Amino acid sequence: MIWQQLQSLAGSYPLALRGLGMTVMLSLISLVLGTLLGFGLGILRTGGNQLISGLIGAWVDLIRGTPFLVQIFLIFFILPEFGIELDAFTAGIIALTNLAACFICEIVVAGIRSVPTGQVEAALASGLSRWQRMRQVVLPQAMRIVLPPLVGQYVLLIKDSSVVSAIGLTDLTRVGWLVVQRVPNGLLVFFLVGVGYFIVCYPLIMLARRLEQRMGAAHGEVQL
Amino acid sequence: MLENFSFRTIVEYLPLFGQGLITTVWLSALSFVGALIVGIVLCAMNLQRGWLFRVPAKAYIDAVRATPLLAQLYFLYFGLPRLGFVLPELVVGILALSLNSGAYIAEIIRAGILSIPRGQVEASVASGMTYVQRMRLVVLPQAFKVTIPPLLGQAIVLVKDSALLSLISVAELTRAGQLLASDRFMPAEGFLTIAAFYLLLYYGLKGLAGVSSRWLGTAGART
Amino acid sequence: MTTTGLAKTGMIDFRGVNKWFGSLNVLKDITLSVEPREVVVVCGPSGSGKSTLIRCVNGLEAIKNGDLVVDGQRLGDPATNMTQLRTEIGFVFQSFNLYPHKTALENVTLAPIHVRKIPRAEAEKAGRELLAKVGLADKVNAYPAQLSGGQQQRVAIARCLGMRPKIMLFDEPTSALDPEMISEVLDVMVAVAEEGMTMMVVTHEMGFARKVAQRVVFMDAGAIVESGTPDEFFSHPKTDRSRAFLSKILRH
Repeated sequence: MIWQQLQSLAGSYPLALRGLGMTVMLSLISLVLGTLLGFGLGILRTGGNQLISGLIGAWVDLIRGTPFLVQIFLIFFILPEFGIELDAFTAGIIALTNLAACFICEIVVAGIRSVPTGQVEAALASGLSRWQRMRQVVLPQAMRIVLPPLVGQYVLLIKDSSVVSAIGLTDLTRVGWLVVQRVPNGLLVFFLVGVGYFIVCYPLIMLARRLEQRMGAAHGEVQL
Repeated sequence: MLENFSFRTIVEYLPLFGQGLITTVWLSALSFVGALIVGIVLCAMNLQRGWLFRVPAKAYIDAVRATPLLAQLYFLYFGLPRLGFVLPELVVGILALSLNSGAYIAEIIRAGILSIPRGQVEASVASGMTYVQRMRLVVLPQAFKVTIPPLLGQAIVLVKDSALLSLISVAELTRAGQLLASDRFMPAEGFLTIAAFYLLLYYGLKGLAGVSSRWLGTAGART
Repeated sequence: MTTTGLAKTGMIDFRGVNKWFGSLNVLKDITLSVEPREVVVVCGPSGSGKSTLIRCVNGLEAIKNGDLVVDGQRLGDPATNMTQLRTEIGFVFQSFNLYPHKTALENVTLAPIHVRKIPRAEAEKAGRELLAKVGLADKVNAYPAQLSGGQQQRVAIARCLGMRPKIMLFDEPTSALDPEMISEVLDVMVAVAEEGMTMMVVTHEMGFARKVAQRVVFMDAGAIVESGTPDEFFSHPKTDRSRAFLSKILRH
């Protein structure tokens, strides 16, 4: 019986690969877009314009305060009411990018705020423009604080991408769900699904840990 | 646009939302207690010197952290019956949330314990305390304070994660929204309403975190 | 192994003790005996191994080879109950290491109550007396963060005395203090010494050494370079290294 199941699972091999491909693709695209957007929002948030900063803060709070599943439903089912027709893939990308951007924004803000004011003052005194100050002085120093949680955020993003299976995208989790209807061995099927995610996520977790240790050592702090 | 947005339907469905909200709250609370137990046990295992307990604990924590909750939920939902455990969806959901959050809580507690300065341990060693006395009298009381804020953060994550239980048809808050969306084909009314309820819980817990950190802050004046 | 067979022992007996951190020989062939009621001041440049030396006495650091016998018990011997032995040894840290979540009194009574199993009321009575003795009768209920460095260190000394130790070890007890707080701590240490406590004190406070120490031990690069009475050591240092060291610390 197990043998039959394994055979049947082996038959799902192309489907599984497609699912893994979908997961990686979704994550990768929204990771890149989310990082760009997140840095932009973070820089704007610390930029000194109260209104912009407040609006970004409120938006980030809204996104942090609601389940990702609900966000996906809102985007997928409600945007069409505004005349924006979305396929599931685009809806997934939008939802994931927005989520990533909001969390990364917070990480970037924390990083920028960690840079001592003396650094900004020194840059001001030497006549650097606002953008130059950010680009040459603040961001490079902020990166030490930003990098470890940023990588950690990527792991969360990849895992959150599993939730888009709820609107029918055939990602790795959805493949598991499809296969388990045919091969009724949930333990085995979702163990294999887990292995798929593990292969993608675990190296990133290790990287985040390494970075944390390195940054900690660079700062002379005790790290965990 | 949302010109047909029907507040009347929302009001009509309010009892359903209310019930969903209550279910979300108590199942999250129960899962959090479960997660605390799982976390404490894992952390105790993880802090052992011998590999016998430490390695399995580490492997478990890594496995949980490197895979999505939804996959873990399906693993239990489709897998447990195969082992002969046919449990109600709600129980499977609480189990999944506890086992998942437990791994994160184990790391939070570990970080709290490791944040206690070495000198504190040395001082208690020097006064002849045993390992258990050191933990109970010196390390844990101090670690407790450090872990409260991140634990509340984890509680927020857990409440949001509980929305996934709607996918195995647990009648919690998100499920209520889905029902309204599909029964009346009113997704805006359904999902915006539950989003508002989740925000209520979020700001509630966030407020609690603020209060606790102020309280710990005044207590921290002692540290 | 018991102490029988060992020749006459002091309160603390180092015999050919060695210790490495990795490939670094931090204690080189240390032989030193501290008699009961004796006060020994250990000094030397930073990195000379002086802190490591006293941290070995209560087992905060383990020795590699040689014999270290404290109060008749050989360290590293399976028969030696380290936890028990540590209750006989008070240790005062450079950074105080008071428990931040406990009041001054609770800091003093914690180990007596839980380790010595002294009834709470009795321990608190003794604790109040000890805090009064170090001049902090009015700070009994203060938390460490509400105390100055000098006050914290005096609480730390009271905390050790609360265990009624036979030996007290001081690891640079005043070097984390602002200058105006040093004397209040040294005064307490002098009082403890004058009551006949066996003490090993790592410090550069030469006034303290002259006043109460029977012996000054000078260490450099992990070895004991010179040892003698305070007068001998300060007035007639025998080696170049001790002369260089003294000229540096006496300059300010």
